[in-house]
Amino acid sequence: MLQTLSVERRVDPHLSIDKYDPEAELLLLHMGPQHPATHGVFRMDLYLDGEIVVKAVPYVGYLHRAVEKLCEKLTYSQITPIVDKNDYVAPMTNEQAVNMAFEKLLAIEVPRRARWIRMIFAELQRIASHLLWLGTFTMDLGGALGGGTTVFMHSFREREMIMDLFEEVSGCRFHYNTHTIGGNRHDLPAGWAGRVKEALAVIEARISEYEGMSLENRIFVKRTKGVGVIEPGLALELGLTGPMLRACGIDHDLRRDAPFHAYDEVAPRVIVAEGGDCLARARVRLGELKESVRFVRETIDSIPEGSINGGRPIKLPNSIKIPPGQTYVGIETPRGELGTYLIADGSANPYRLKIRPPSLHALSALPYVLPGGTVSDALAILGSVDPIMGEADR
Amino acid sequence: MNVVLTAVVTCVAILTGILTATAWLIWFERKFSGRMQSRLGPTMVGPSGLAQPVADLVKLLQKEDVVPEAADRALFDLAPKLAALCALGAAAVVPFSATVVGAKIDLGVLFLLAIGAVTVMPVFMAGWASNNKFALLGGMRALAQSISYEVPLVLSAMVPVILAGSMDVSKIVEAQTRDGWYLIDPVWLGLPAFGLFLLAMLAESNRIPFDIPEAESELVAGVTTEYGGMKFALFYLGEYVHTLVASAVASALFLGGWDGPFAPGLHWMVAKTVGLFVFVYWMRWSLLRFRSDQLMRICWYWLVPLAVALLLGAGAWVVL
Amino acid sequence: MSERANLDTGASWTHPLYATLEKLPGVSLGLASVDDLLAWGLTNSLWVFPMATSCCGIELMAAAASRIDLDRMGTIVRGTPRQCDVMVVAGTITVKMAPRVLKLWEQMPEPKWCIAMGSCAISGDFYRNLYSVIPGIDTVIPVDVYIPGCPPNPEALMHGLLRLQEKVHARRRGEKVDRDPNPDLIRVTQPAIPRVCERDLGRNDELSKLQADQAGRVTEEQMCPAVDVPFEPPPPATPVFAPDFEGLLRELGVAVAADGPPLVPVERHFEFARRLKELGYRQLVSIVATHWLAGTGRAGKEEGASEHLEVAYVLRTVGPGSRLATWAVRVAPDQPIPSLVPLYAGADWQEREQFDLVGARFAGHPDLRRLMMAENYPGHPLRRDFPIDAHCAPWR
Repeated sequence: MLQTLSVERRVDPHLSIDKYDPEAELLLLHMGPQHPATHGVFRMDLYLDGEIVVKAVPYVGYLHRAVEKLCEKLTYSQITPIVDKNDYVAPMTNEQAVNMAFEKLLAIEVPRRARWIRMIFAELQRIASHLLWLGTFTMDLGGALGGGTTVFMHSFREREMIMDLFEEVSGCRFHYNTHTIGGNRHDLPAGWAGRVKEALAVIEARISEYEGMSLENRIFVKRTKGVGVIEPGLALELGLTGPMLRACGIDHDLRRDAPFHAYDEVAPRVIVAEGGDCLARARVRLGELKESVRFVRETIDSIPEGSINGGRPIKLPNSIKIPPGQTYVGIETPRGELGTYLIADGSANPYRLKIRPPSLHALSALPYVLPGGTVSDALAILGSVDPIMGEADR
Repeated sequence: MNVVLTAVVTCVAILTGILTATAWLIWFERKFSGRMQSRLGPTMVGPSGLAQPVADLVKLLQKEDVVPEAADRALFDLAPKLAALCALGAAAVVPFSATVVGAKIDLGVLFLLAIGAVTVMPVFMAGWASNNKFALLGGMRALAQSISYEVPLVLSAMVPVILAGSMDVSKIVEAQTRDGWYLIDPVWLGLPAFGLFLLAMLAESNRIPFDIPEAESELVAGVTTEYGGMKFALFYLGEYVHTLVASAVASALFLGGWDGPFAPGLHWMVAKTVGLFVFVYWMRWSLLRFRSDQLMRICWYWLVPLAVALLLGAGAWVVL
Repeated sequence: MSERANLDTGASWTHPLYATLEKLPGVSLGLASVDDLLAWGLTNSLWVFPMATSCCGIELMAAAASRIDLDRMGTIVRGTPRQCDVMVVAGTITVKMAPRVLKLWEQMPEPKWCIAMGSCAISGDFYRNLYSVIPGIDTVIPVDVYIPGCPPNPEALMHGLLRLQEKVHARRRGEKVDRDPNPDLIRVTQPAIPRVCERDLGRNDELSKLQADQAGRVTEEQMCPAVDVPFEPPPPATPVFAPDFEGLLRELGVAVAADGPPLVPVERHFEFARRLKELGYRQLVSIVATHWLAGTGRAGKEEGASEHLEVAYVLRTVGPGSRLATWAVRVAPDQPIPSLVPLYAGADWQEREQFDLVGARFAGHPDLRRLMMAENYPGHPLRRDFPIDAHCAPWR
């Protein structure tokens, strides 16, 4: 009923509010930067006509931590633990993205075992990240004191199991600092693969429970179906990636389309859904959760033996100097394409390191999709975007 | 003299009973939701966390009383008191047993429905007086929702009234003791009416899936956004008492009130009320929330026609 | 060092009713036990306001979730500051966010406390010296308990809350409770990561040397010793382009460079992008502006080069066999570049970000405002001559 606006003609986000009907008496609602459902410090100014959003103006930058400037002052090996903090829900993917850029300019071949371990880590991070998304999304739909919290608690219970596995590898619950240039810092502990499979068996058994509480729940479907529709053309233009793009019916996944790590040897299925609405995004994420669990369980035994770190130990990691050059590396993280544009000038610090955050691109879709929905829809859409502000603002 | 004394004692007993029950039911809800979410709930304050509501109360009593500068002070102060008062006032006519009843009035059901409708006033008052946009939106939603759901609530409450031929709650219970509970006799009438009443009751007392006026994830804390300390506690109390009293009313109108074998009537009434209350919280901790326009649609498209049909059915049942 | 906020929280404030009660004769005898009761109530019902900005916020959520379950000790999380007792500052607080934190803190009713969770909230940690981050939340609001860690485990948060309970009890008993010292200030040395090269600090030599010795800061030579490079310098990279992209380059006569993306003349830039979009490069991946000072360029030192900006664009095709196209435009710092917004709606925020941080001008952008920094921020922080700690001044 309320959702007819954005599909037919594209909303112009730059249209000044003065151009709107002066008779409408719009209410300006500042949502954020501190709000229970803004996933950190995101702010949107909603112009409301009753409950219906007429215009939405998002603001980012409340968590701008100047990571890019800091990286210009750091040596290459010091950057890894810093970028960890960007996407703090799947920190390892950050490490992988920057280290792969360094390796590409240094022309270092990463050993096969290290690539496999990186792949397994990336998939486990995806599981942890999507579990967190499920919890926070249902909480946006169902309130902090209601059924949403129940899903949240259950998905966190499973996320803790993944955290335990990573803690065993690196000693940290997150911010692992486990990737280095040319390989990994930590090898897998003895018996780790078995424990991963045990944990994943538990999670796999419980996924149907989550689906029952979300996709099969009629209230969930009612709240998400047809809400926040992004048309495929707009999604491509905005540079949406990951589940946001695949929910628009576009079959694009860097794990298959531009393989990195060991995805050229084995690749998970790509989950695509039609519709471009919140329900499609939920379908894609839950499908990916399921697929990643299956994928890790099936591939973890095939991790090849060998060295994890370039064949020779790096003696003075601080002294690595990268010859002048520029490169771009993009990898598929739980939120989409996380890219690193590296400009080296031959010194021991990068001259410029631009991180391409998928969350920022995803958030830039909001002014297009929010108008026409209600305030409740606005938060459902924001939750389905799954933004991580640390990454969007850097 | 004796009559007055009895009345006062009964009133005080009911009031104390309800307030104490509310406190422990809050504790129970926290434990209950904890179990649903595979955690423990309060454990550290008192044995099994039993003293938790007391600690909360003692804490809230000590909090600073903040009134926003731009707020409408008189209304801002009045709203929480009115909220708690309305909820408690409804308890006056609920018969907890054949003898334990605050006020036996002939139009008990009418009184209940009237005072239930008034509860939206303090909520909107709070939303308006806070001078906060979130609170205002919450108040608006509460008003719209309450007006809509008042209709099926009244209509479904009329079904037992018609069946019993009286508006006195005690008489309705007595009729059920004689003829059988309206929930099962006649089942085609009683069960849907009970379901309707329960749904409308959830919406009236702003519980999930109809808690859009509070909607923590959308409106921060809805109408109570600007309220802290004891004022918030009064709102909180009002909400719980409202749910509790509504459960009591539902069990009186449909579940035969104090009627039951073996045990004294009061026990049965309390058991039924608490059972319904727990059911409400079960719903609360397992369901998500509707959007406001969906809520309106459910009410006007489905519940109101159904309620009208049930009312006509009840009339036909009595006449034939 | 910074001027720490001198307020003490929760200690001096009592409810007016309580103050009146205290004056009544004979009541004081009973008050000892009443005091205990009140303190018991306060400590066992600490409702948390989650000032969660970043990573620590996730651990705060984990602490409320089923494994740790803060509800065990009566602690629940409420969304509005009016109903909360403890503000848990979890995460980095930026210059843009700090006034909001202060406002929320002022909205909380007394008695209230603050817990600084994680090293960012304690001291700013890695981001301490950066232009957009404040060095610790205790420069803005008073802090009662510090929980170190990056991020602290959920157990540590619970420990912090228990420590707060202790303090509240002790204060109620009338014991003198010192404020917890900021763990970052007790430490003799700064975190050992040599973050700042000496050339960035315009201080006198002796002081710098002293600081360098004490604080783990090293000079550029120490930090990047020119000996024993473990890797062979790789052979000069031969750029590999997708065939269609290469064809377009040849058609338009754009030279291919070994040390970066091909440079397209700024006049033909928009046309180039349009052609690429027609070729199927429908996804704008990234826009990267880089500032080069006079005398520097792609190869590091470039004799005779004037100060300039280089803006690189990355495009991608979607679907299997995804291809990348990268090119760059080289302009003077103030020279406008044709905006790509008419072609790619996603260029909107990208160009705003590069305008904000690097100062690249985009002609034809419908709404060229700052994206990350505040509207009135002076300068463009990612320019090379912009000092890294330029905007911390009010907090130093």
